[in-house]
Amino acid sequence: MNETVPVALRKPWAGGSEPPFVRIQKITKRFGDFTAVEDVSLDIFKGELFCLLGGSGCGKSTLLRMLAGFETPSSGRIEIDGQDMAGKAPYERPTNMMFQSYALFPHMSVEKNVAYGLQRDGIGRAEAHDRATDMLKMVQLSQFAGRKPHQLSGGQRQRVALARSLVKRPKLLLLDEPLGALDKKLREETQFELVKIQETLGVTFIVVTHDQEEAMTLSTRIGVMNEGVIVQVGEPSEIYEHPGSRFVADFIGSVNLFEGRVTEDKPDYVEIAAPDLGGSIHVGHGVSCTVNQQVWYAIRPEKVRLSRERPESRRNAFEGVIDEVAYLGNLSIFRIRLANGVLVRATRANLSRYDDEALTWDEKVWIAWDDTAGVVLTR
Amino acid sequence: MKAGGLLRIFCVLGFIFLYAPILSLIIFSFNESKLVTVWGGFSTKWYGELFRDPQILGSAWISFQVAFVTATLAVILGTLAAYVLVRFGRFRGRALLTGMSTAPLVMPEVITGLSLLLLFVSMEQLIGWPAGRGKTTIIIAHVTFCMAYVAVVVQSRLAGLDRDLEEAAMDLGARPVRVFFDITIPVIAPALVAGWLLAFTLSLDDLVVASFVTGPGASTLPMVIFSKVRLGVSPDINALATIIIVVVAIAVGLATWYMRRSARNG
Repeated sequence: MNETVPVALRKPWAGGSEPPFVRIQKITKRFGDFTAVEDVSLDIFKGELFCLLGGSGCGKSTLLRMLAGFETPSSGRIEIDGQDMAGKAPYERPTNMMFQSYALFPHMSVEKNVAYGLQRDGIGRAEAHDRATDMLKMVQLSQFAGRKPHQLSGGQRQRVALARSLVKRPKLLLLDEPLGALDKKLREETQFELVKIQETLGVTFIVVTHDQEEAMTLSTRIGVMNEGVIVQVGEPSEIYEHPGSRFVADFIGSVNLFEGRVTEDKPDYVEIAAPDLGGSIHVGHGVSCTVNQQVWYAIRPEKVRLSRERPESRRNAFEGVIDEVAYLGNLSIFRIRLANGVLVRATRANLSRYDDEALTWDEKVWIAWDDTAGVVLTR
Repeated sequence: MKAGGLLRIFCVLGFIFLYAPILSLIIFSFNESKLVTVWGGFSTKWYGELFRDPQILGSAWISFQVAFVTATLAVILGTLAAYVLVRFGRFRGRALLTGMSTAPLVMPEVITGLSLLLLFVSMEQLIGWPAGRGKTTIIIAHVTFCMAYVAVVVQSRLAGLDRDLEEAAMDLGARPVRVFFDITIPVIAPALVAGWLLAFTLSLDDLVVASFVTGPGASTLPMVIFSKVRLGVSPDINALATIIIVVVAIAVGLATWYMRRSARNG
């Protein structure tokens, strides 16, 4: 394998001979009657920044805790770097974890916090001090080395926690909502910093998050979880543009979903009768479905075009009235009410500062989209 | 501000009711006169008298030894009990252990004292230990009720301890025993110190339980005071009481301060 090419370009998950670095095989975790994680299998490759994305209680944190060794799987097998992790305590694993609460030791200084893990490995005080100092320099906290955690701001604590979990040069770093406690501005800055650090050190990251935007920005691949099951795994663009189910389409970004029935199923196009739209949807490519099958058509708001005049193409064009306009600065969100009362979301980039022709409330408009803009979902 | 004024008056009356007797005791400890109720001018002679009384000094030393050992043992046992109650989840007999470990808090002292005396006597007959009664038996008796207080104090601190801290230490390569001494103990240290001071003062104060389980030659300070007072209140007892009040006040003050400071630092 070619280690110099970044994993995001190498794409070992798409096929090839590279063995996975973390191999999760049919992992199930039950707490009493409750199944937190159900039959999850996942391969994660060296150098990846893999995001486990899902709502609260979907099992993503439990899965992470099983990788760290804090929970024992009810069944299944976890392999890290070719080693079976069964029966290995957290202190014997080649992983480190960054906790959502940061879990900084309140009675130790920043530097002692960072050096703690090194000293547990029997590294001498002097070397531990040097390595801790280097790590603090990397997260730009050198001048705070002597402080206690409660004397730091939220962002600084986050960086101490990161430094502490990276200082032992783990093969695998597990991050539980690493940016959850930061405000929006700081979060965006830290996201890029995190990616930079990850690329510099070449450590494999597994990040748990409920924030889809964070997952999109950070990761090489995303695993979407729901009710203990991995629903879909893929690169961010794949998850966004080719969701495999209504849940994923709805969970990642916003989407218009129309229920319909297949009326024509040809190799190069499909026709769907959609009562919601009061017409039929033309899909410009083949879909694996059968005539009369119930399907859902998912289309992202930014792919819906708005116009005052009727579009030239009669296909995928429907008339409605603007019900609501939300101005967000960079773009505006429109809600269009169709003749039968169904609401459709569309967004438009605000390209000009002075737009006298801007669409506004109660205007009659046409919505339209390309015949390849949406996704046909069967579940 | 009529209500506020009234509140203030009641507040002052309340404090007078609570502290006037103690204040008068402290003032009269500096009384020149031998008559306890008649002011005969300022003097510290009773303090001097006190320190020349071998009986008082001897019993004070015993009380101090007992309190020191009691507090230390109570902290160890109380912490272990608290750790089990907070950390071991639901196990068989948990409710029983909770009840048993806090029962001494509400048990009348007379009953505690009497039952322990009966226990010591029958144990001596059966296994020959403890041979006779004295400091050892007082310490055992004191530990039984002091550890309950320690357990309560430590339990609340332990329940508030973030489990992530211990897991983080383990994740960084520390084995469970290491985690306990590196992380758990330092974080709950304020509760341990507070518990120790609490146990120390409780042991120092106790008269009833100690009277039951003591033997010849092991009279604690409260016992000596009590027996002296029965023969009539002498001014040197006032001086002794003043010293005890100061010592206890400092210990309680330290315990409170330590708990507050650690609560602030989280």
